[in-house]
Amino acid sequence: MKRLLALLLALIAFPAFGQSVVQTENVRAELLADVSAVKPGEPFWVGLRQTIRPKWHTYWKNPGDSGLPTEIAWKLPEGAKADPIVWPRPHLFDLSGVINYGFKDEATLLVRITPPANASGDFKLAAEANWLVCEDVCIPEDAKLELTLPVTATGAPAPPATRAIFDKARQLVPMQSPWPARYGVSKSGDPTLVVEAKGLKADTIRDVYFFPADWGPVASMAKQTASIGAEGIRIPLKRGDAKAALPADLSGTLTLTEKTAGGDVQQAFDVTAKLDPGFVPTASLAAAGEQLSLVEALLFAVLGGLILNLMPCVFPVLAMKAAAFARLAGHERSAMRRDGVAYTLGVLVSFAIMAAAVIAIRASVGDVSWGFQFQSPVFSLLIAYLFFVVGLNLSGVFEFSSRFAGVGQGLAARGGTAGAFFTGVLAVIVATPCTAPFMAAALGFALSQPAPQTVAVLLALGLGLALPYLVLSMTPALQRLMPRPGPWMDRLRQFLAFPMYASAVWMIWVLTQQTGADGVIYALGGMILIAFAIWLLKLGSGASAATWVRRGLAAVAVLLAFAAALKLEDGPATAASASGGPAAGVNFDGWERFSRARMNEAVAAGKPVFVDFTAAWCITCLVNERVALETQAVRNAFEQAGVVKLKGDWTNRDPEITSSLKELGRAGVPLYLFWAPGAAQPKILPQVLTESLILSELAALPQAKR
Amino acid sequence: MSRLVVARRSLLLGSAAVALMPAMAFADGPDVGKPAPLFTAVDSNGKTWSLADLKGKVVVIETTNDGCPYVRKHYSAKNMQDQQREAAAKGVVWLTSASSAKGEQGYVTAEQANALTKSHDAAPAAVLLDPQSKIARAYGATVTPHMYIIDANGVLVYKGGIDSIPSSNVADIPKAKQYVRVALGEVLAGKPVTDSSTRAYGCTLKYPRTSS
Repeated sequence: MKRLLALLLALIAFPAFGQSVVQTENVRAELLADVSAVKPGEPFWVGLRQTIRPKWHTYWKNPGDSGLPTEIAWKLPEGAKADPIVWPRPHLFDLSGVINYGFKDEATLLVRITPPANASGDFKLAAEANWLVCEDVCIPEDAKLELTLPVTATGAPAPPATRAIFDKARQLVPMQSPWPARYGVSKSGDPTLVVEAKGLKADTIRDVYFFPADWGPVASMAKQTASIGAEGIRIPLKRGDAKAALPADLSGTLTLTEKTAGGDVQQAFDVTAKLDPGFVPTASLAAAGEQLSLVEALLFAVLGGLILNLMPCVFPVLAMKAAAFARLAGHERSAMRRDGVAYTLGVLVSFAIMAAAVIAIRASVGDVSWGFQFQSPVFSLLIAYLFFVVGLNLSGVFEFSSRFAGVGQGLAARGGTAGAFFTGVLAVIVATPCTAPFMAAALGFALSQPAPQTVAVLLALGLGLALPYLVLSMTPALQRLMPRPGPWMDRLRQFLAFPMYASAVWMIWVLTQQTGADGVIYALGGMILIAFAIWLLKLGSGASAATWVRRGLAAVAVLLAFAAALKLEDGPATAASASGGPAAGVNFDGWERFSRARMNEAVAAGKPVFVDFTAAWCITCLVNERVALETQAVRNAFEQAGVVKLKGDWTNRDPEITSSLKELGRAGVPLYLFWAPGAAQPKILPQVLTESLILSELAALPQAKR
Repeated sequence: MSRLVVARRSLLLGSAAVALMPAMAFADGPDVGKPAPLFTAVDSNGKTWSLADLKGKVVVIETTNDGCPYVRKHYSAKNMQDQQREAAAKGVVWLTSASSAKGEQGYVTAEQANALTKSHDAAPAAVLLDPQSKIARAYGATVTPHMYIIDANGVLVYKGGIDSIPSSNVADIPKAKQYVRVALGEVLAGKPVTDSSTRAYGCTLKYPRTSS
């Protein structure tokens, strides 16, 4: 009785102590352990679980531009040890441009506690935790938390509900990056991080962000625009405010969202990048592309369209129409305007058709990931060729056949609004001989963009082409200012060849950044071959045997030039796989290759069967393997249960696997099937696996007959 | 970098783009060792201050927000006021900038600013009213208090925190290295600043909301 009274008194006297839960104004803090009894000498985990007021946030180990991380000061029994906090993956909060890294809603900070080997009696953990919690305003809060666990010889796990909290918390802890990483410093001092996750698919991965572990080396305020290419994930960063030299190891947490057949999956990896003195990043083309915002792209497209008007094929059309205006002086202004608008529509419709064609082509090629091109040396080489050929064309070395020019003439000859509309269409077609090379370049760009951008850029180009005529139709007075057609047009065209050559030279320089000095040989050699081919083709016409020989030779020359591209593709790829990155393939260790026949046979034999549909580019698949499928415990459990493990490699869209996925209503990987012995249907497991999920699935099996 | 932008554009437009390239400049916090961004602001007594007019003098800028626990930490312990007085005694112009946007925590009218100066017994040369956060923006301030020192030539020589222990605990002040005090001493002695860029800590600066 006395003791009870004392206990009551103690509870009343020290309400702040001895509690495992503290509710502050903005946070409910709870101290939890994943054991209900401590085993001497055996480490266990405790968690500080913060349930945060909606819209408020607490901070990660690096809080970003403002804020402070949560701290825990431990008071433990003699001889016990607490490790540093293991943090869940952070979120990014943007407060009017000030970037914070932290947690919202709920965060469980994990700490490993190692009790001494001689622990006995009660094991009392006391934690003084303090944190800063912010919405717009920030409030420092603290809590004194206590947890007492009995010490027993064998220890005991926590009840399932608590274990579930720990399971969830562990899932949110970033995984050690399965890929090596390095970073280089540009001449301006800004670091660029490369995580060598090779063979990823750019179109399934988004929201890539690198959270630097420490203040200083990397500016958290700067936007990050990651790109995914053959070398892996590249993130150009901005140097932070620390004055010290950049560290030998840059560490932090990489987060990304992967689009999988079953929905979006967020992943986080702890990355430590070694400083690579040989890697001096020049911003990649992809990064530069990011800088070219859509608005700028549109602006330049309009400008490009305007310049098309000065091309020798287009300008006469425009000049003729303008002259017609002059003759029509005093004509109804509104009719002229209608004319101008109809012409513009004609041009725009033609460009829209072109955009639709581009998108259709891209859709039919389908699986090609366009995000790659700008980091691919092959692409650089082909663009260099393109610039070179365009330059030759502008210099007048060769002409594109103007066979198309006659088409549509009849339609355009019609009077009135319809005539103007078809004049617009005609202008686009007539312009083809001059504009084709330009259009090829614009289309090349358009191809690298998502569909809405493709349409927008091409339409802007069309608008630029139509604009002078539209403006003239609106304000006929301006037409007096128009230059007359003449030899200057040819001179302008010839002059424009030089910037084209300059662009080709520049592309070759880019190429050397990607491949090394050898790229120059292939590129310039290829250009000579192309020039040779053009010369051969120009030598004569007709169907004589000599012509055919020349044509054959030209074809060989062009083929050789393009063979250089293949050679380039070889180079970096082999270098990359030799540099110690993980093989960009699926690992079949301990697994059989999936085939429908093998699966049916094993199922028919009454064996438990686990099927893993995976692909080398699937990050979620890789993570599932690391955290669930290939842990020692799961491997042992698979073996004990006599499970037939089949793995289907969908990296290259194997048709048998595709049809299996389709039957199950899935469009892609990851997909995990589990056939219990004798089951008529497989069980489809979630696309994010945990060790405990697999173990419980296996534990539910009737004991395997062995 | 810029060359690459040109190339991508030339890819788009061929030759047209090579000749035409807009200069793109993004405002960023200034670097230590570079000229400090100039500003003109009105203080709580209606006086106009222009950094350009202060050439020849060492200037300290302190962002403030009276509702912020970290600002309060240094005012309740008199740490901020002491340093303001020391600076004034050495001819340094100490400008406290109330850079919270209107409607946000820390926004003050002229009267409120003066009342706070009085109640805190503070001694800055002036409290600048910066409700559009222009000064904060120009200096890339992210927190209150965020501290800057500009030397007599108008060069930014220090940016960062008031001291070295990021906490809201007053008891940490005596244990911390007072970065601003040390740096000011070095500047006045004509020496380079040892810790010229440190981690600022405190509450997020309350900029005008860009989007809801």
